[in-house]
Amino acid sequence: MNFKRAVSIRLGVAVLVCAWAAAAGAQTPAPPPAAAAVPAAPASDAASPADAPADTKTLDQEVQGLKKDVIDLNKDLFVLEEELLFPANTQVAVFLSMDVGTFFALDSVTIKIDNKEVANYLYTEREADALLKGGVHRIYLGNQKVGKHELVAFFTGKGPADRDYRRGAAITFDKGVGAKYLELKITDHVAKHQPEFMVKDWE
Amino acid sequence: MRDIPRTLLAAAALWALPWSAAPAANVAPNPDGLPPHEIQDLDYGDVLFYFYQDDYFAAITRLLAAQELNLVPHTQGEAELLLGGLYLSLGEHVEAGRIFDALLAGNTSEAVRNRAWYFLGKTWYQRGYLTEAERALREVTDTVDPRINAERYMLLAQIMMRQGRYDDAIAVLQAWRGAPSWTSYAQFNLGVALVRKGRLDAAIPFLDAVGRLHSDREEFLALKDKANLALGFALLQAKRPAEAKPILERVRLEGPYSSKALLGAGWADASLGDFKRALVPWVELHKRNLLDAAVQESYLTVPYAFAQLHADGQAAGYYSSAIDSFDAELKRIDESIAAIRAGTLLERLFADDRNKNVSWVYQLKTLPDAPESRYLYVLLASNDFQEGLKNYRELNYMSRNLESWRDSLAAFDDILDTKRVAYAARLPKANAVLAATDLDRLRRQRVEFESRLDEIERTGDVVALGTAQEQATWARLKRIEDYLAAHPDDPELAEMRQKERLMKGVLYWRLDASFKARLLNERRAVRELGAALQETQHRAVLVDQAEKTVPADAGGYAERVLSVRNRMDALQQRLAAVAERQNRYLQALAVDALEDQKRRIESYQLQARYALASIYDRASNGKPKAAP
Repeated sequence: MNFKRAVSIRLGVAVLVCAWAAAAGAQTPAPPPAAAAVPAAPASDAASPADAPADTKTLDQEVQGLKKDVIDLNKDLFVLEEELLFPANTQVAVFLSMDVGTFFALDSVTIKIDNKEVANYLYTEREADALLKGGVHRIYLGNQKVGKHELVAFFTGKGPADRDYRRGAAITFDKGVGAKYLELKITDHVAKHQPEFMVKDWE
Repeated sequence: MRDIPRTLLAAAALWALPWSAAPAANVAPNPDGLPPHEIQDLDYGDVLFYFYQDDYFAAITRLLAAQELNLVPHTQGEAELLLGGLYLSLGEHVEAGRIFDALLAGNTSEAVRNRAWYFLGKTWYQRGYLTEAERALREVTDTVDPRINAERYMLLAQIMMRQGRYDDAIAVLQAWRGAPSWTSYAQFNLGVALVRKGRLDAAIPFLDAVGRLHSDREEFLALKDKANLALGFALLQAKRPAEAKPILERVRLEGPYSSKALLGAGWADASLGDFKRALVPWVELHKRNLLDAAVQESYLTVPYAFAQLHADGQAAGYYSSAIDSFDAELKRIDESIAAIRAGTLLERLFADDRNKNVSWVYQLKTLPDAPESRYLYVLLASNDFQEGLKNYRELNYMSRNLESWRDSLAAFDDILDTKRVAYAARLPKANAVLAATDLDRLRRQRVEFESRLDEIERTGDVVALGTAQEQATWARLKRIEDYLAAHPDDPELAEMRQKERLMKGVLYWRLDASFKARLLNERRAVRELGAALQETQHRAVLVDQAEKTVPADAGGYAERVLSVRNRMDALQQRLAAVAERQNRYLQALAVDALEDQKRRIESYQLQARYALASIYDRASNGKPKAAP
């Protein structure tokens, strides 16, 4: 092998390493992704001075437009379903919120309206965690006639000292012609070192 | 009390996301920097419930629906920012950009603006929109959290490097100040930028410092290897092999960069004319998997070194074996290209991916057990491939999601039919009841009754409110009184006259004493009657309206169902077509990667053949054959 060939191999090596190093940079996990690594001739630089290729952008933009249309349609389907199945004049929605959770770890909630069970929900750890972060779960959405109703909610879980805990809360509410929102609230009563369970009527 | 832990939780969760993100991942939506969230709109809380479970598709659907139904009136600003973040999480950076632009043009706090621009810039960078990314990152002010600011300048430097603007990148990196854990990355990038500007001596201190890092963490050990490799090869290119060799020897033998380091170390020795020493790393490399480009290279360098040492027999043996190995490898690559072109690559990649949520952290890390997979691991590290895979996966998820609505649409049709049937059955009955009820007459009677009460009250007619028995007694007493009045001089009636006066007085006293209470009762009854009549009137109006609107409503719903069904069909076709294009694009990337591999091996094979021929020529004629 003459010197010229050896040089060509060597340059090939540099090109390979450069391409490999760029890929390796993109694989770096947690910290800031390092840029492409090894010096090489600009022509073979993996991080060439250009934005994303035009055809990739076009496809990407098309994908984006399509996804936006799907998201919009999904929303329309969701709204249509709610309006059709739960019209405002009969709609009753019950939400569950949870504050802090020092004295209570939620397992499940059962809801009865006019002594008839309408919801029984078992919470996963992930869902309970979402509640603690500030999420509010719409646990029941249904139809009730205009007039007075009684809602009773039963909460089960672990109370202070990791003991099994079951409590109830009740409210009598007036269902008018508009949608009715009720919120089941689990809060910590710091002074009593006990959880509290309330039902709030959102007028 | 309530807000502090949540704010901390949210901050912790959201801080963790961008810093632990793999480079190809999307940016997490980020409502951080917002005021503490007290529940003002239950529906916004419902959106957060799904958002905090990373179910961004459900979250965005509910948020858009809540906005359309005006259910988040108190949280509009937060909702918009979250919406922008959710669009980002689904890779919709154009829509996210539109929302952020609108939001940022409005009256938002600097903290929110900074975070919005930062996440937008980072997403654009990852998607390859470098110009837009730089514009967004430059909108962030230096008052932003120092950690974000450090990453911002790092991203700006990387944008400049990807655009070949090494001088700009050097300026940014030289001024860069950040957390110690990031300093090594900044030094590494600065060293690389300097090398690319031809300023090797200026680069050496930075790359050398990273190459001497002390750490137990794999990420820093890998960075250390990379820095040593980069510096070693830069020195080799600058014809400084003696300096390059100890640097390359710092690279760990068991690390991911050891093959390249072994190759370089061999070249350093070869450049110094010590081919015997060069054989040590090269032979070690030769034993490794031929998939590695450095190993492929060693199939040429080992016989080349033997030839330089005049061990032509061994050189010829290695060249022959290289040609055979390359042949076998080329055959496998051709088979793999054919398999990829057959179009089943993506199906296998996502075989176990059904029913999973669309997640911004999605990144494919393993490949199916197939012959072509062995060549494609390098592709997994490529941003284009990962982004393309993510798009393909999201398109499939959305297609499945739409398909799941089909059953619901069928149920909507049934509901509308049931409503129509119920309406047709109830309407005649309702009309019959309404026809038999003269509401006007009832209303007139109520007015007359109220007037009568007014008259009773005005005249103090206590008898009028007496019971039937009392009124009969009163009438009897009145008749007796009349009789007595007709016989005023009859002495036999004197006792009766006295009794009559007494009884009338007692009855009047009783009637008068209960008059107010009775009047109140009567007035209450009139009011209740009025309310009942009003309710009846209201229901009659509702029935009347329903008679007119129910068919129209049903028709409206039916039209909406039809409309969404048509849109669904059209979108499914587009989804299938774009997914197919995405599939072809990914296949093309995969095939390109294999073609590159193939071209490289073909080139090596050609060089091996000529080198072998040259050895045979030399053996038979005593002079070398010309190079190709």
